[in-house]
Amino acid sequence: MLAIEGLSKRFGGVQAVQRVDLQVRQNEILGLIGPNGSGKSTIVNLVTGVYAPTEGRVRLRARDITGWAPHRVLAAGIGRTFQSIRLFGGLTVWQNLWVARQAQAGAGRLRGWLAVDRAGMKRIEATLEFCRLLDRRDELARNLAFGEQRRLELARTLTADPEVVLLDEPAAGMNVAEIEELRDRILTLKQRGKTIVLIEHHMELVMEVAERVAVLNFGEKIAEGPPARVQDDERVREAYLGKRRD
Amino acid sequence: MTDLALDVVQQLLNGFLFGSSYALIGIGFTMIFGVMDKFNLAFGVTALAGAYTALLVLHLTQGPLALLFPVAVAAAGLVGLVVELVCFRWMPRDYPLAPLMATVGMLFFIDEVIVHGTHGRPMAFPAPMGEVMMDVGPWLLRGDLGFMFLVSLGVMGILWTLVYKTRLGLATRSVSQQPVAAQLCGISLVRVNAAVFVITGMIGGVAGVLIGSAVGALSPLLSLPLTVKGLVTAVLGGLGSIPGAIVGGLLLGIVEYEALYFFGIGYRDMVTYLLLFVFLVFRPGGLFGQTRH
Amino acid sequence: MSLLTLFGFRILLGLSAYVVILTGQISMAQAGFYALGAYTAATATAIWGWPIVPAILLGGLVGGLFGFLVGFPALRVRGLFLVIATLAFTEIVRMVFLNLKYTIRVGDRTIGPAAAEGFRGITYYYENGWSALQIMAFTWLFVLAVLAGFWLMDRSRAGAVLRAVGEDELAAASVGINLTAAKVAAMAAGGLVAGLAGALYAHYATYLSQEEFGALLATFAIAYPLVGGTGSVAGPIAGVLFFSLLIDGLRFLGDWRNLLFGVLIIAMMNLRPHGIIDVGLVRRLRALLHLRRERAYAGD
Repeated sequence: MLAIEGLSKRFGGVQAVQRVDLQVRQNEILGLIGPNGSGKSTIVNLVTGVYAPTEGRVRLRARDITGWAPHRVLAAGIGRTFQSIRLFGGLTVWQNLWVARQAQAGAGRLRGWLAVDRAGMKRIEATLEFCRLLDRRDELARNLAFGEQRRLELARTLTADPEVVLLDEPAAGMNVAEIEELRDRILTLKQRGKTIVLIEHHMELVMEVAERVAVLNFGEKIAEGPPARVQDDERVREAYLGKRRD
Repeated sequence: MTDLALDVVQQLLNGFLFGSSYALIGIGFTMIFGVMDKFNLAFGVTALAGAYTALLVLHLTQGPLALLFPVAVAAAGLVGLVVELVCFRWMPRDYPLAPLMATVGMLFFIDEVIVHGTHGRPMAFPAPMGEVMMDVGPWLLRGDLGFMFLVSLGVMGILWTLVYKTRLGLATRSVSQQPVAAQLCGISLVRVNAAVFVITGMIGGVAGVLIGSAVGALSPLLSLPLTVKGLVTAVLGGLGSIPGAIVGGLLLGIVEYEALYFFGIGYRDMVTYLLLFVFLVFRPGGLFGQTRH
Repeated sequence: MSLLTLFGFRILLGLSAYVVILTGQISMAQAGFYALGAYTAATATAIWGWPIVPAILLGGLVGGLFGFLVGFPALRVRGLFLVIATLAFTEIVRMVFLNLKYTIRVGDRTIGPAAAEGFRGITYYYENGWSALQIMAFTWLFVLAVLAGFWLMDRSRAGAVLRAVGEDELAAASVGINLTAAKVAAMAAGGLVAGLAGALYAHYATYLSQEEFGALLATFAIAYPLVGGTGSVAGPIAGVLFFSLLIDGLRFLGDWRNLLFGVLIIAMMNLRPHGIIDVGLVRRLRALLHLRRERAYAGD
C-alpha cells in the first residue's frame, strides 16, 4: 500500500532519518515506535510533504508521491494528525471539518466553492458523531478541552476520507479512559478498511492494536515484526533502556 | 581619474557617512525586534520627538548647543519607555497585530503633537558643523556628515560595551535568543524590555539630532521616511542583528547617494525599495542572517 | 453626500485588506493597487475617452492583476517581512507615478499623469453632468456588490479555507488546502477590490497626486479591518465608521482632534485587541438572534 524506500533526511549536520525502508500493507495497523528524537515524526513529515527527503522515495500503491506538496499527498489518499495539536483555533469545530472537506468536493471549480454541499454536511456530521464531538459543533476549537482537541484533530483528518491515516502520538497527554476510547476508535477505523500507521510512545496501546511494529533509533530502523517478538528484541531493549554495561 | 569616477567616490563617501544615521535608527528597530519579536513602528517618530524636545529646550533656555544631545537623549528615552508601556506591556499577549497597530496609533499621536506644537511648519535646526568643509584629496568632506559619523561611531561603541560587557547586555542577549529559558534563569522580561526601549529611545534621540542638523531643519514630514528607512536598514542587515543594522545602514546610505547621482531624486527611493523587495523575497535573512522563517 | 461617497472608497479599501488578513498576512500593498486602479481608470476615461463602467472595471482588473503578480513573490515571505515587502511595492508604485509622464493637450488644458505635477483633468462626472447623489449611488453600487460578494464568500467554504490558512498554514496544507492557490487568490481579490476603489476615487477626486498613495494610505487600509475586527465583513465597515466618525465627528475639537485620533487607536487596541466586532461579539449577537427567533416560535 504505502512504501517507503531508502528514505533519508538531513537537517544541516543532523541525520534525522537514515535509509529507512518500510512497507505498510493494506488495511493493517503498523505501530512505529522509538525513543524521543528517533525520527518518527520526521518520517510522517517526509511522507506528507512537509519536508522534502534528502534521499529515497515514497510510493502510494504504484504512484511515486515523493516530494509532493501536503495538499496533493492528502488528495492522493494519505491523511495525518499532528503530535502537537494544530487546529484552526478561531474556527468552530464544525468549520474545522468543513475546511477539510473542501479538498474532496470539487475544489478549484467555482461551483464547488459556492454550492451547498449536502453530502459533505452529512459526512461531517457522521465524522463528528464518530469522534463524539457532535454536541460541541459550534464551539471554537481553541475553547475545547485537551481530549476534545485530540478528537477534533482525528475528526478533521478523517473528513477527507484518506485511505491511509498517519496518527502522530494520538494518545499523548490522555488519561486511561481516553486512551481506551481511542483504542476502540482505531480498531473501528481498521474495520472500516483504513490503513493505519500509529506513531506512539504509549507501549500498551501499540502492543494492543498493532499487527506489526517497526522500531526506530537514531533515525534508523532497528527492528520490525509482530509486537511480541519486537518487544523481546535485544536491540530494542537497548534503545529504550540504554546499553548494558556488562 | 575621470570626473565620473571622482563623483562616484564622492557620493560613496557622502552616503557612507550619512548612512551612519540610518544605522542608528536601524539599530533601534532591530534591537526591539530582537527582544520582543515585534516591530515598534513608533521608533522613527520617537527619534524625531527627541530632536524636537531638544530644540524646544534650546529655544526656551537659550543655552549652549551642547545641550541638544543630553536633552534629546533623555526625552527620547522617556518616549521609548512610554511606548513600551502603552503599546506593549499593557497589551494582551495572544494577538501580535494589536501592539503593531498600537504603535501606528502612537506614530500618529506623536506626529500630531509635533504638528500641533509647530503649526505644521518646518523648524530650522542648528547645524553646528554645517559650514565646515574639508578637502580630502580631490574630494570634499562635509563637516556635518563627518560629525554625524563620529558621533554615531561613539554611540555604537557605547552600545557595544553595554551589550557585550554588562549584565544588562547579557540579559538582553539571552532574552533575544531564548526568552523562556532566560526567564527560567531569573531574568525579568519586563525589566529587559523596558531597558531596551529606553536604550533604543536614547539612541534614537542622538540620531534625531544628527539628522536634524544634517538636514538643517526638522519637520513632521520626516517621521514616515525615518520609519521606512529604519525598517529597510533592519531588514537589510537581518532583523535582530546589531552589526547587521550598522552595515545595512551604511549600505543604504551609499545606495541612496549613488542612486541620487545616477538616476536623480525622482528615482532615488525607487532603487532603495526595489533593493528591499528583492532582499526580502530572495534573502529574507538579510546580509548575514541565516535564511530562516 | 460626499461623506457617504468617501465611506464607499474607504470600505472597499478596508475590504481589500481584510481578505488578505483572513489568510493571516498583513499587506501594505493595497495602497499600491489602489493607485494603479486610480491611474488606469482615469487614463481610460480622460485620455482614451472610454465610458465610465469599463474604465472602472479595467482599474479593478489592473489592481487584481498586480495582486496576482505580487502574490507569488509574497509567498516566500511572511509575517512582518511581508509587511515590509508590500510596503516596498506600494512605494515603488508611487515612485513610478512620480516619474510617469503621459499627457495630451485638450484646448489649453493638459490632461493625464504629468509626473510630479499629478494627474489633472479627470472630468468624466463633470462633463456628463452627474450630481453628487448620482456619484454616491454609482460608488455604492460597487461597494454593495463587493460587500455581497465577500459576505457570500465568508459563508461559503472559500471563507473558511482562507481563515484556516490564516490560523495554521501547515495544518491547512495537510487537510488538503493548496496554500499557493489560497494566498495568491486572496491577494488577487484584494488587488481587484483596491483597484476598483482607486478607480472610483480617481473620478470623484478629479485630480490625482502620487503623494496620496503612500504608507499612510496603506496603514489606513489595514487599520480599518484591524481596528474594526476581522471576524466578519462588518469588521472593516465598523473600522471605517470608527475612523471616519472620529475624523469628522471630532471636528469641534479643532486641531486637537488629530491628537485624540492616535490616542483612540491605542486605547482601542488595548481594550479590544481583536477589533470592535470580534468573533466573540459576532457569536453573542448570533446567539441573541437565535434566542429571539426561538422566543418567536415559542410565542406562536
